Amino acid sequence: MSRLRNLLRADWLGLLLLVLGGSAALAVVRPEFLTPYNIDVILVSFCLTVVYALGQGVIIAIGHMNLALGAIGCLVAIAFGGAMEVWHLPIWLAAVFGLLLGTICGFINGWLTWRSGLTSFIITLATLSIFKGTALGITQAQPFYRIPDAVKAFGSVRWGPLPAMLLLALPIVIATGIFLARMIPGRQMLAYGGNPNAAELSGISRARVVLLAHTLSGVLAAVAGMMTVARLQNATPAIGDEWLIASFAAPVIGGAVLTGGHLSVVGTCLGVLVVALINQALVMLAVDPFYVQVLLGLLILGAVGLNRLREARLGTTAPVRLS
Amino acid sequence: MARAIQRLAGAAALLLIAAGAAQAKDVRVALIPGGPHPYFANWEQGAKDAKRDFGIAAADYKVPAKWELGLQNQLIENLSAQGYNAFLIFPGDPVATNGPMQDLASAGIPSIATAGCTKDPTPALFCFGTDVGRSAYLGTQHLLQAMGNKGTIVHFTGNLVDPNTELRMKAVERAVAETHGGVKLLQTIADIDRTPQEADEKINALLAARGKEIDGIITTAWLPSVSAATALRRIGDKRIKMVAIDHDQVVLDAIKDGYLLGTMLQNPYGQAYIGSYVMEEIVGHGCKVNAGAPFKKNAYTTRFVDSGTAFAGPNDVAHYQDVMKTVTKDLMATFKATYLTCS
Repeated sequence: MSRLRNLLRADWLGLLLLVLGGSAALAVVRPEFLTPYNIDVILVSFCLTVVYALGQGVIIAIGHMNLALGAIGCLVAIAFGGAMEVWHLPIWLAAVFGLLLGTICGFINGWLTWRSGLTSFIITLATLSIFKGTALGITQAQPFYRIPDAVKAFGSVRWGPLPAMLLLALPIVIATGIFLARMIPGRQMLAYGGNPNAAELSGISRARVVLLAHTLSGVLAAVAGMMTVARLQNATPAIGDEWLIASFAAPVIGGAVLTGGHLSVVGTCLGVLVVALINQALVMLAVDPFYVQVLLGLLILGAVGLNRLREARLGTTAPVRLS
Repeated sequence: MARAIQRLAGAAALLLIAAGAAQAKDVRVALIPGGPHPYFANWEQGAKDAKRDFGIAAADYKVPAKWELGLQNQLIENLSAQGYNAFLIFPGDPVATNGPMQDLASAGIPSIATAGCTKDPTPALFCFGTDVGRSAYLGTQHLLQAMGNKGTIVHFTGNLVDPNTELRMKAVERAVAETHGGVKLLQTIADIDRTPQEADEKINALLAARGKEIDGIITTAWLPSVSAATALRRIGDKRIKMVAIDHDQVVLDAIKDGYLLGTMLQNPYGQAYIGSYVMEEIVGHGCKVNAGAPFKKNAYTTRFVDSGTAFAGPNDVAHYQDVMKTVTKDLMATFKATYLTCS
């Protein structure tokens, strides 16, 4: 009984109902919505977006922001592609190289934020230019095209409606959820995000939390960058350019508080799905291209508004930190 | 008083630059795109070839670090200070780029709006780029002919803030209308030339939802061309016929492998080659732009010169650069006589 009550009070329940209701409505209006290919398209979009959305989410959890998320994804993507094309590294080694690069970029963000005392906004604004500029300098705006077939297959293969990418995205989602909900470093990150002063007074190291969150964010951006290479079948320096807004939108639609202390992994996943569904609906319903942006904004506002209304009635709205 | 001194110093600086430009025998051409983009890669080769063929002192391709108007303007200022005395500029903004072009003109330095136009009244000598409407129209005609002027097509195009997009949309609609109901334009998806992931998602969403209804695809922007070619290869569909634009390797490979009918080549190579040559003639040999030349009109300007377009099918893919060079050669044959007046 209490489980049911908890479920009803979950901040993501409204989004879940929206996803289910929206999917049902689309399936009625457009029966081809339920074809395996179409579900695969939505799930591929989900897989790519949720990984970098969680990369921003772990930063939001500590009350910071990572403007360089897309630039890290871009740098890793072209490093991954370039390592295979130019250096002829095997896929696994190129992937390790990409992960290492993402880890280093994230660590640099964290270290600079911690040591300088400046806000993560300023630091990541600067590193955004550095990482993106490096990627452009290396490629001269030309993509790496010679991506091995196995990598391309990972971005294309599906079993029925299920894309192979789920094999990577789902474990990442589950691991991030467990990390934040059950593991001490994850709980410390949320505690720090909720109230940094209280967290430090209770013995939580600011340096450790900041370094950990930014490094984790770099790793997730790296994974998303390499997944995007697999999907697009080339490593172009344009990868990551559209990540910034989506990376904030999904966690926030899912109930995250920008000032830190609260991040729902389930909510983030549903936030990603809501935006993917709305985009899908606008294409399927052949909306006039000149009005797509207007409708997209209105529908997102409507979806979030409905969820917030439900939370307000139940009194479960996430607290806003005042400090 | 301080302001007056500043003004005097500014005027003196401009006069010095102007005097330098006037005395210069060496022509130093700067080719400046709006930002990093694969389309402009051929500018570099075109400039190098022009430098070699016409003995130009310098013809250098200089890329702003990113697509930001301020950065492009700053680069233009820096290069003019470094002694570049002729500019081929892709306008970062059709109106705002007139500002730095006017500064150059005030210092006696000519500029040509290249690959995109600045809006009249403009200090640019003229606009030298692809006639986007004609390219979209011809590409659609190739597609419709291959479909036997029957069936349903979709159009994937560029960003709506770019007025060229509307010209492309109208051109595709015109070609479809000429089939008198034989072909139906099912849907146009625009605003997908910003990022590859966005193009990939929307194109795949449409193919998943309405793929069975679609007989043909026309794309009139770089990223949608790449994404649609990748999508057709991914689903292994050779039933849907497609004509793309530009020469990305993904597009060329898809044509070679039979997934695409062909692509509408633009001529960035020729823009750089002929543009640099024109600057050599104007700055180095005192030629002027022929005011009575048969310029075309477009949405921005009444002084437009089409840099050429060509359809490249499977037989042209391996030597598409030769196709562009042929278009360039044809233009070059009459360019000076048509558009310049030399004493």
